[in-house]
Amino acid sequence: MAAEYIVTVMSRDRVGIVADVSRALAGLGGNITDLSQTLLRGYFTLIISVETPDDVTDARVREAVAQAGAPGEFGVEVRHYEPPQAAEQVSTERFVLTTRGADRPGIIARVTAYLAEQSINIEDFYAHVVAGDLLMVLQVAVPSGLNIRQVQREIEQVGREFGLSVHLQHENIFRVTNEVRLLRIEGGKS
Amino acid sequence: MAGPEDILSTVEMLQREHLDVRAVTMGVDLFECADRDIDRVCGLMRNKILRCAGGLVEACSDIADKYGIPIVNRRIAISPIGDVLAGHGEEALLQAARALDRIAVDLGIDFIGGYTALVQKGMTSSDRALIASLPAALSETNRLCASVNAASSHAGINMDALYQLGHAIKETAERTADRDGFGCCKLCVFANIPEDNPFMAGAYKGIGEPECVVNIGVSGPGVVKRAIERLKATGDKIDLGDVAEEIKNTAFRVTRVGELIGREVAARVGAEFGIVDLSLAPTPAIGDSVGEILEVMGVKCLGGPGSTAALALLNDAVKKGGAFASSSVGGMSGAFIPVCEDAALAKAVGDGSLRIEKLEAMTSVCSVGLDMIAVPGDTTAEALAALMADELAIGVVNRKTTATRLIPVPGKKAGDRAVFGGLFGESPIIDLPCATADEFVRMGGRIPAPLVSLNN
Repeated sequence: MAAEYIVTVMSRDRVGIVADVSRALAGLGGNITDLSQTLLRGYFTLIISVETPDDVTDARVREAVAQAGAPGEFGVEVRHYEPPQAAEQVSTERFVLTTRGADRPGIIARVTAYLAEQSINIEDFYAHVVAGDLLMVLQVAVPSGLNIRQVQREIEQVGREFGLSVHLQHENIFRVTNEVRLLRIEGGKS
Repeated sequence: MAGPEDILSTVEMLQREHLDVRAVTMGVDLFECADRDIDRVCGLMRNKILRCAGGLVEACSDIADKYGIPIVNRRIAISPIGDVLAGHGEEALLQAARALDRIAVDLGIDFIGGYTALVQKGMTSSDRALIASLPAALSETNRLCASVNAASSHAGINMDALYQLGHAIKETAERTADRDGFGCCKLCVFANIPEDNPFMAGAYKGIGEPECVVNIGVSGPGVVKRAIERLKATGDKIDLGDVAEEIKNTAFRVTRVGELIGREVAARVGAEFGIVDLSLAPTPAIGDSVGEILEVMGVKCLGGPGSTAALALLNDAVKKGGAFASSSVGGMSGAFIPVCEDAALAKAVGDGSLRIEKLEAMTSVCSVGLDMIAVPGDTTAEALAALMADELAIGVVNRKTTATRLIPVPGKKAGDRAVFGGLFGESPIIDLPCATADEFVRMGGRIPAPLVSLNN
């Protein structure tokens, strides 16, 4: 086992896609080490990390996965896995950005452009339109050196440009209110 | 990590449903400041409080921003001043009262509590002096809060203290007559006072508590009300067990918010974390009312039949959710029914549906007691003492905390309106019929502690 690939599959949703794709990878001697799937408006995407024997090329992986579906059914992308560079692993704290307001073109572009300017990485993103209102929930990694108050003020200002209510809050508030196990706060005397 | 729906429901709780951290209350031990020289005591108290609480306001502000949750009040609770100033007289107590008020102003602290005497079994000379000093102390200061523990299940009820308090409350009201007797809003009279309560006016730092400790009071009647409304809106057949379960789940989440904030503040200021007290403490804002919770539970006439049972369900479910959420639950932990601070309860008093007798019954199943109740200005000291004795008897016999905050509004009678402003709110003045227990009160002495066996 030496080759490591990241594989994405996109298609219309139906029952059995993961079964078909994983059977194809198993047929190559591959072992899936990570997997995440998402459904959106009847479309399906899958991202997989897979280890294969040395002699399995990216082209063979792509062909095997594509042939696991009906002709033309799957859009498949295969990349060699490259671990993150040490320099990229800056210290961050996880915050949650939530927005709500009337949907208009350009909102996501503007909000994410601001985050990119601040080197704030988006780790999870959910956006959904309900009754004309765009709801966004982003889990973001805020570099520890940033002044969080300033970021909050600026992102709220970005929201106001579009008439959105915007809140940027540390993730712990969501963990303690939704997880049964008690979060331990470091540094307290008790 | 929580999913989008859970995240959005938490945001909803924080932003739209009035969930707030009502109080970050730092307890500071002041016994080391005891001295025969009152100037020296005041200097030592100032140094100690500044040393412990100097960074409290800034820490609260930073942490409130980080989590996007408002911290409404920052407070300090000190050792019972009646004991710290043992051997001192009324003038020295007043000097300390003014000094403490000034410290609160200088630190940007909203209230400082602990102008307190513990007299359930008897009074020292300084305890008597403290009670005598209350009218001046409460009328000359703005941020100082006072409390007296005049009863306990172990000691019974100190009727001499209650009678003296009846006079002190009357005089405090007279001295603040221009504000409808507002001074009385800052005085709680207790049975079984908790040592770690973060809520004012009754917060003080108990003798068994650590040197410097952060206690948290979280609230959120609005959150509970909305949770029940959402449950009803599902259209499913729901029963009262479902309502209790929903309240419990909501109380769990709210308590967790309190513990998170409390532990972070404590870590920041180098204090111990004490307890989180989830108490549904209403504010005069519409939608932030315990009375409205009872209404949404189906009790349409507050004070009518069903009110006590609904409140009992609410209070118990809040405690259960809180106790599961945290092993550091303390203080009051229940539902408060301070009439002036709760628009729905105040309206029910005005409508005549919520009367003093029913309020007393309701306090036997919930937190605190006859709280923030405006009574006619001509109520006698004897009648006030008798009413306090009734309420404290409920606590003493049932081995729970009860308290009173009664305001005899000068120059006003039942049905007139008393207005205190801010979180203290306003209310029509309640009728006190048959206040004729003067002889009973004047007999004085102590009502003995109740028997704890033969429970029938």
